[in-house]
Formats: sequence, structure tokens, C-alpha cells
Amino acid sequence: MSQIQFSINGIPCTCEEGLTILQAAKENGIEIPNLCNDESVRVYGACGLCAVEVTDDGRGKPVPKLLRACSAKVMPGYVIRFDTNRVLQSRKIALELLMSDHTGDCRGPCQLNCPAGTDCQGYVKKIAQGDFHGAVELIKEKVPLPAAIGRVCPHPCEQNCRRRLVESPISIAFLKAHAADRDLEKDTYRPAVAAETGKKVAVVGGGPAGLTAAYYLRQKGHAVTILDASAKMGGMLRYGIPAYRLPKDVLDREIAEIAQLGVEMKQNVRLGKDVTLEQLRGEYDAVILATGAWSSMNMRVPGEDLEGVVGGIQFLHDISSGEGEIPDLTGKKVAVCGGGNTAMDACRSAIRCGADEVYVIYRRTRGEMPAEDIEIEESMEEGVSYKFLTNPAEIIGENGRVKQMKLQVMELGEPDASGRRSPVAVEGKFEYLDVNLVIMAIGQRLNPEGLDQVTLTRKGTIEADEATYLTNLPNVYAIGDATNRGASIAIEAIGEAGRCAKVVDSALCGEMKAFRAPYYSTKTVTAENLADREKQPRCEMPTRPAEERRKDFAPVNLGFTDEAVQQEAKRCLECGCHDYADCKLIRYANQQEIHPERFDGVKNAAETERRLVCIERNNGKCILCSLCVRVCDEVAKQGILGLVGRGFPTVVKPEFNKPETILVCKDCMKCAEACPTGALRILIDKK
Amino acid sequence: MSIRIAVGQGSCGIAAGAQKICSALEPLFCQSDITIDTVGCIGMCWLEPIVDIYENEALKCRLVQVKASDAERIAEAVKSGDMAAVADLMITPEDNSFLEKQTRIALRNCGIINPDSLESAKAAGGYSAIGRILSAENGMTPEEVIECIKVSGLAGRGGAGFPTWFKWNAARQSPGEEKYLICNADEGDPGAFMDRAVIESDPHTLIEGMLIGAYAIGAQEAIVYVRAEYPLAIRRLEHAIAEAREAGLIGKNIMGSDFSCEFRIKAGAGAFVCGEETALIESLQGQRGMPRLKPPFPAAAGYWYKPSNINNVETYANVAWIINNGGEAFAAMGTEDSKGTKVFALTGKIKRGGLVEIPMGKTLREVIFDIGGGIREDKAFKAVQMGGPSGGCIPEALLDTVIDYKKLAATGAIMGSGGMVVMDESTCMVSMAKFFLDFTAKESCGKCVHCRIGTKRLQEILTRIVSGEGKEGDIELLEELCLAVRDGALCGLGQTAPNPVLSTLRYFRDEFEAHIRDKKCPAHSCTDLLHYKIQPESCKGCTLCSKKCPVSAISGTVKNPHTIDQNVCIRCGQCIATCKFGAITVE
Repeated sequence: MSQIQFSINGIPCTCEEGLTILQAAKENGIEIPNLCNDESVRVYGACGLCAVEVTDDGRGKPVPKLLRACSAKVMPGYVIRFDTNRVLQSRKIALELLMSDHTGDCRGPCQLNCPAGTDCQGYVKKIAQGDFHGAVELIKEKVPLPAAIGRVCPHPCEQNCRRRLVESPISIAFLKAHAADRDLEKDTYRPAVAAETGKKVAVVGGGPAGLTAAYYLRQKGHAVTILDASAKMGGMLRYGIPAYRLPKDVLDREIAEIAQLGVEMKQNVRLGKDVTLEQLRGEYDAVILATGAWSSMNMRVPGEDLEGVVGGIQFLHDISSGEGEIPDLTGKKVAVCGGGNTAMDACRSAIRCGADEVYVIYRRTRGEMPAEDIEIEESMEEGVSYKFLTNPAEIIGENGRVKQMKLQVMELGEPDASGRRSPVAVEGKFEYLDVNLVIMAIGQRLNPEGLDQVTLTRKGTIEADEATYLTNLPNVYAIGDATNRGASIAIEAIGEAGRCAKVVDSALCGEMKAFRAPYYSTKTVTAENLADREKQPRCEMPTRPAEERRKDFAPVNLGFTDEAVQQEAKRCLECGCHDYADCKLIRYANQQEIHPERFDGVKNAAETERRLVCIERNNGKCILCSLCVRVCDEVAKQGILGLVGRGFPTVVKPEFNKPETILVCKDCMKCAEACPTGALRILIDKK
Repeated sequence: MSIRIAVGQGSCGIAAGAQKICSALEPLFCQSDITIDTVGCIGMCWLEPIVDIYENEALKCRLVQVKASDAERIAEAVKSGDMAAVADLMITPEDNSFLEKQTRIALRNCGIINPDSLESAKAAGGYSAIGRILSAENGMTPEEVIECIKVSGLAGRGGAGFPTWFKWNAARQSPGEEKYLICNADEGDPGAFMDRAVIESDPHTLIEGMLIGAYAIGAQEAIVYVRAEYPLAIRRLEHAIAEAREAGLIGKNIMGSDFSCEFRIKAGAGAFVCGEETALIESLQGQRGMPRLKPPFPAAAGYWYKPSNINNVETYANVAWIINNGGEAFAAMGTEDSKGTKVFALTGKIKRGGLVEIPMGKTLREVIFDIGGGIREDKAFKAVQMGGPSGGCIPEALLDTVIDYKKLAATGAIMGSGGMVVMDESTCMVSMAKFFLDFTAKESCGKCVHCRIGTKRLQEILTRIVSGEGKEGDIELLEELCLAVRDGALCGLGQTAPNPVLSTLRYFRDEFEAHIRDKKCPAHSCTDLLHYKIQPESCKGCTLCSKKCPVSAISGTVKNPHTIDQNVCIRCGQCIATCKFGAITVE
């Protein structure tokens, strides 16, 4: 056989004569997408993903039709491309069509709803197996501060956990914290750091966003320096979250883990005062602004400038930075304005500072409060009073000090854009509340110090591109509370930081790759679908009694035992596809942007069927590549499987739709091994 | 003087009552030497049943739309020789022009000879061509046969129009002793029935054509793949094969020559895709009818992966004529690009529907208006769908297009197997496109993604458009998907499935827009978009419509204008048919 020369996507290739384009590409180390091809069986040509365009047939003419690389033979001089618009369009439509008839969850709702995309199902499984280090390794692919985040996160994962349709969600956040605590005790997981790249990155702000960005960029071998204005690293995690929720030593240990990678951490460096952005840009290859939003928003009512009116952030910061010095509020009456988590932290901290009476002033009702329910619950246990449907109208002072609050009485009107019923003032109806301290916790904003050259949004936050995190300045990126929509939960900032780190790394390596949200197949599951699941109660976190805990800043939660954690983790329904890591379909679906929703229509039934032996077949994930049918016939020589029906409803069944055919199955599993998606699953452990 | 009464008994004639006429005629002639003969289909569907009276094998008169009750007076007239008594049954000169304007080669014996009689076929020249090829003195070599076909310019009549000689030659040149010749009689296009007519009316012409093909490529076995929905065709072909075998025309050493060829029939189980040659081969092998990837082409690896040639019925039906008359005679007809004649199955809103064989090069207008007599009820012509589900529609403005493979393809339609469905102003083109997509989506074998899911999605988009739920952007989405399916589907079925959509979009885009934007069907055909209204000034309050309405959507009191409840109305149109005052309108 003689060697022939040709090219694929501009790369010169050679191979023996007589090979298909697909084989020839493989020989030259090039993977042309394909789903239905397998060397062990005859060419089939169903999926259409391997379509290639031959722009020159070696004689100066293009081949008019797209060729299927799995069957077309490579010819001398062929100029083959599978990156042309025509090919990409053909593959895009094929993938969109496949996905439009695909019913399955690539990943569980926990992961999909985690702003950082943490593989919750994956680490919960590891925890169930007692592998805490393995769990942390998985978590730390997305979240470098699991012990901290596990304690403080409002856990959108749990809110969306499908187990809630059975009885109640998995306690994902606490499981994470537990695994991280155990990992920190000994043999702590430490990621590898790549060889030094010689690139330097400055991260301004050492909060969750800054720490995360530094953690991942350092792993890529870049020299990372965090510059932080405070005395210690941690940002809002340290200064915004009270110690009864997140003990400072836990945070210290996790930050130390980041530092040990070789991240340089500089304290007490304030942008605009101690260093300018200009200087940083001169000194570093990239600058990431992660300064956070440290100013409390004003309520814009008369009397805000009276002594005894403080911002929630300021109040919490003062408590946390006091190095053990806790303000004494004994005998004081405190009003906390707002209904979010900062308000909760403030009111519960106020109780712990000895305040006589603490009121939360909130203009709607409990049902509309953005704070976590458990926080409201626990604050009430600790003695916080709530004044729902009231809004500060005026802060009345005496001798320059707060004396009283005038509260406008509200009622609920029509739902607003957020779907919550908006509060409407009841005209002329007011209440008066005697107070000594007013804490404003209605929102945070950015302190734009040192950001003169940076374009801000109308809200006063840094304008950063949603896909590249770039500001208006070259090589200057911005993430976290300081940007775009403003302050949010820590895990949002961590997620953004992780994605930003990838962008920055790609830019430092020469070609910036903007972030593109991955495509996942999802399905709808209702309580009826899960009606057959055995109910297993959620493991509740034991807490210290309210009477005891309200007196100090020691942790409220007592923690789980290893046994309880494993038991809890075993409740996981494992919603995400078992084959995600190996699924060729989802890999190709993410190689280019696809929009299967354009072709939304009827889907084939997604029933799951247990085959005689140890194979579970999920029809919703079958792409009808027929590899199982063909492998059973041509390789296993059994011919047990066949295609039944025609057109769209075609389905793989025992040949001729005779269930008894399956009885001769030799259990060779070759079908499941050949399946390019998660349609066939080997259930050996359930045998 | 010999008199023969020929009763057309193709499936069509039988369906129209031809057998009853035969049964009525036979006892009336049992004492005479006048024979009652069965013939096939002459192709004049609208005139069935047809009874031809031959005197000394010359057509004396043709009686049409005959009923069993006419038998006695026909018998009297035939016996007396005075045909005036049945003048009312005689074909009109106008209707007769339908045949006169044709040039029949493939259909040359259809409706004239007895399909169940080898003798009858031989009398009409049957087996003379193979006889000549195999004759010891001045026979023809396979190469000479292929050359003759090459000169004729005969191209595959099944749809693709690929040069027949090229396929024959490729199969001949393919290495290997074992070769097969296959006839594709899986005529699946809705609206095409010429292949059925040929097999039912003149099976020996097919057999002879296939024998010549088998001789040319070197095949030892010939297989006819007929759809099981053609039971009469299968029965007549079986009979013909048996007769031919008996006469030494099939089997070992045909006509005393070295050439041997076996024949058999395979009944297809009804999948449209089995008309695709590689799917047909899979089916022949007992596999699920799903297309194979090409290459390799059947000429290299076909039936049991042996060199095989596949042509359709009409193609083979031309072969003996070409051998007898010479390739040049065939090539003399037609255009530069397309030679010979083509049979069309003219159906739809046409006055004279049936089988029309004409030389290539005539215009569509000639076929539809001159031969077909124009549109029924003298409504306005709107479009003609050519090539069935794989084809496209051609609008009024392009009626002067010449019938030629390339010229037709340029319009977005195709020659196809020759289905010609004529549509008038009352046809909604969006519904028409949907009809074909319903068909192809159902008939997709399910193998390749583009066809299996793509045609389904196309059908869904079209369905929502005709039900008034079309969205802005649907037209563009249709176009994008159509092009992708055309480019990406594995076989001809999928690759051509978007054609009806693309061509209606090309010529009738405004109808799509009207459905989507104005929620109106300009042809007043999509019931979901219709509103029946009673004009109060015209309504006399007779209550007839409200009594007739099957869903009690119409209310009102006597002598007062009635109203239709749009939420209840099922748009059946019965009220309009009932109203004597024209008070009900459709929007």
C-alpha cells in the first residue's frame, strides 16, 4: 500500500491508501466528531456528525456534497475541512436535533443551580463513601473555601435539590463543610501548581472572589499577589459574617491553604491610597479588581446623620475587627432596617452584644423576606422582634443622638417585577419606636476609591464584560460584589472568580477564551415521578440552645458526626447522568454553541427499562446510533437487539419486539460499553 | 371477421366495476365466437370502466364509463354491427385526444394486450428484442447492448435520472461472477402509478427489459421488488414469469443460447424508503429496510454485497423498444439533455387525470391543459407538484417550462417518478407542504438524525403554522432546517424531503406569511384559521343552518338573523352548503 498525502483543517497528513477519512484523521491524531462509528462494526453513517467538506479533491475541484468521514475514503491531495461554516452548521443542526429529542439531566439541579457549578452530586457521593479528601478535591475544582462556604452559603443547591420533592433536600452545604473540616484536620488536599509561567497577576481584594481567582491562577503557574485593604484576608467572609456562623479559625486555615500554594498576600494596602491602579497595571500582566461593596446604602430618610445610626456592614465589621473587643449594647434598644442576610447577621449580633430589645424593621411580611428562613427562625429564638409592614420614615433625635424612629405603616399591593407583592404606604398611618441604635441593612454599594479610570455602571458598580470580565481598561478585570449587578452571595463571587481565572489564564497564555455557559440537557421531574422513593428524613443540624448561644459569638451549629454525614449523603437521588464524563454527545454539544430549544417539539417517551441482566436502558438518552444493536449482532454475534418502528418513534428493543429474545443474552455488556451516551447503564453493583 | 371485446381490468378498471361488466357480458356471448378479453389499463382514469371493441384486431370503438347495466345493449350493438345504439357510451373526440396527443413506448401495450397471455404479448412484438440479441447469427454482445442504451440516452425513470448505460456498464465492469439485476417496483410516491399500470397491463415487456439488462451486466438472477400493496401486479407478474419460464424465456439457456437467468418476485412490506435502492437491497436481504451509505454503490457492492444493478419498472419497459428500434430512434425524441419519452401520472384537480406518456421537451402547460384538459370546474390553476414527496411545486408563471431533467430541476421541482399533482386555487400551499412532510416524517426509516428528527421538526413547524400558531421567525427556521436536512441526510428520502417546503417557500412565501402574521389562510383551506360568519342583512332566519349544524354552533330564532359561536364551530362548511340565501361567508 502506498502512502498518500492530504490535509485536514489545514494540517498536512499522510496515511495508507484505502482508509476512510475518519480513520485517516485518527491516524494523524485528529478527532473528527462522530457518535455512531466504531471500528468493531460495519460503517453505519447515521449520526451525521462526522460530515466533512472536501474543498479540493486533489484535482482542483471541490466535492459538492458533504462527505461522511466514516465512509468516504481519503484520496490523494484531498483538502478536507471539518471547520467550515457549512460543516459547523450541519453538525450544529444535528446536535440541536438530537438534543431536542433528548430527555435527561446531564447534571443534577444542585450543580446547575450552584453559581460556581460545583459538582454537588459528585462530592456528596464521595462523602457517602466516606471519602472526605476525595470530596474536597472535587469541591476545590470550583470552590477553594469549602469549610467557610459550607457554613455560610444560602445553598441554592439545596433549594433546588430534587429530594425536596420526596421529603426534604439533602443537607448539601453542611456536608461540604464537614468534609472540608475533616480534610483540614490532616492529610489536607493540596492541588498541584504548574511550572512558573513568569506572568504576574495582581488581585485587588482578598475576599472570596479575590482568594478564588488567586487560587486558580496560582495553580496555572502565574505569580499572584493579593492586595487587601484590611488587616487580614477574607473580606466579607471575615468582616461581614459573624463568628457564630463562621469561626475565624476555620477561615484562617482555608486561607492558609491558598497561601501555601505560593500566593503572595499583602495586607493593609488600599487602592487609591497606598497604591494606584496605574502602578499595578505597570507592574503586573493582569489586574483583577475584587474590591467588594463595603458601603451600606442610605435609607434616604431624615435623621440618618444622627449619632447612633450605622450601616449594617460597618456594624458587623466593627464587631469582627475588634480583635475580641465586642461593643456593649447592654440596656440598648436596637432597630435593624432590612430583611436580608446582612440584617439577620446584624440583629443576631446585636443580641449577642447584649442589647435589651432588637427589632427588625421590614416593609413587607416574613414571606417576602430575602433572608434565609433558618436565620429568621433562629433570630426569633434568640429574642429578635419583628416589625413587619413598617418602613422607616424618619429617625428622630435628641441632642444629636437617635431617640426614636417614625415608622410608616405599609400594606401589600400588586406583585412587582420580582413577583413579590410590593409594599404600599397606608396613608397617614405611622408608628413610633423608641431606639438607641439604628442599623441600616438595606443594601451595599461600592466605594469607588482609586477607580477613577474605570467605567462604572449607572448603579455605581464596575462595568465588567459578562464573558471576559474585562473592564474598559486592557488587562484589567473585575469580579464579585464590586461589579455589574452589585453585591450578592459569596458563592456567586467565587463562581465568577473561577471563570475569570480561566479567562485571565487563557489571555496570559496568548489567546483569550471568553466564558461560554456550558450546554446541559435537563428534564422536568415532578413529585409524582418520585412517588416510589422511600422517604428518609433529612439529618437536621444540632444547634446550641438559643438561651445559651445568644450570649456569645461561638458557633451556633454543633456539627454532624461522620456517620450522620454519610447517612445523609446516601439520600442523594443521583439526578445527574452517570455517564457525563464519558458522554460523547455532551462533549460535542459543548464544542460549539447550540440552541436546541429552537426545535422544541414532541419528545419520545423517556422510560427506563431494566434489561434482564444488569443493564438499565434509558430511552430518553438514546440517540439511536444503533451501536448496541450492531455490536450485539456483529461483535457478540447474538443479534438480540433490533430497531422497532419507523421514523421518529423508532426505538431499540429486543429484536422484532419480542421480549423473550433477551433471555439468550450472555451478559457480555458489550452494548453498554459501546453506547456513546448514558442510555445504557451497567448496574453491576445492584445485581 | 374476428371481434374481440376488451375490458380494461387494471386495478383502476376493476375498482370502477370492470369485473361486473365482464360477468354481465360473458353469458351474452357464450354462444358466439366473439371473445371477451381482459386487458390492462389504458391510463384514462376518469373514463373507467372502459370497453374496447376490436374488429380484426383494429379498434372499432371505445366505450367509456360503462356500467354492468349497459351490457345487453352493448351485446346487441356488437352482434348487429350497428354501434349507434351505444353512441352515448362512445368516447368523445375531446377525451380521445388525451391518447392521440401521447407517444407511447413504455405504455405501448398497456390496455391493448392481455397481460395474462404470453401469446398476446408476443403478437405485440414481445421478446423479439431479446430474441434478436441472443440470435446465433446477428446477435448482440453485452457491450453492444450497453452501447445501444448509451446511444438512446435512456436515464433512470425512477426519479434520479441517472444514465442507465452507465449503471449497466459499471455493474458489468465490476469484478465477480455472481451478479444481480433488480427491478425497483416499490412505487411509493403518492400520486404515481405508472409502474403498477405497466406490470398489471404488460408484464412481459418488463420481463424482457430485465432479461436484456441481465444479459448486459452478466447477471444470473433477476429480482422484481414489488410493493405488497400491488396484489394484482404481483399475481399477473407471477403468471407472466411462469408462462415465460415454460416457454424457455426464463431459466437455463434462454432461447437456446448460453444466457441463463432466473427470475423471482419479492413483495415489499410497505416502507416508502425501500424505494431507495440501498434500503431496497437491505430489505431484499431480509434486513430492516434502511439505506446504506454510498459509496460503495450497488454496481460494486449491492445485493449480498455483489455487483448489482437496479432500475425501475418504467426504465426497463423502454429497453426492448430501444433494442428493436435503435438507440437513435429513442434519442431522436426529447431535448438535448433528456431523451425519449416519460410517463406522467396526472392527478389532482385536473379534468382528465391518468397516465400520460409524452416525449421529453413538451411543456407542462401542454400536458396539463392540452392533454389533461385543464382544471376541474374551470377553477384557476395554482401549481403542479412534480416528483411527489421528493419534488417541488411549479407555479403558473413557470408552466411553459420544458419537460427535461435539468429544466425541471432548475424550478426546484424534479422529474421524479412522474407524479404530477395539479392544484387549483382552493389548495393551501402550506398545507400541501405539510402533507408531504407528514408523509416523509412517517416514512423516514429512523436511521439518520437529520431525517428522523429533522423531518419531524419540519412537520411540527408546518403544523403550527397551519393551525394559526406560527411564530415570527418560523419561515427562516424552516429554511435553515430544510437546507441542513438536505445537506445532512443519509439517503435520497431525507435529502429530498425538504423540497416541497423549499419550493413552496420559493413560490408561495406570501401564503406562509399570511398564515403566520395575519393568521389567515388565503386558500380558505386551513380550518383552524377560518371564521364562518352569518351576514345579518342576508340571513332570513330560516333556521335550516342551525338544524344542519352537527355541533349546534348556530343559534337564533325564526325569522331573525342567526349567529355562529366561533368557539363551538368546527368549520365543516355544512351551513354554507345549506344556506339558500348565501348569507354565510368564510374569512
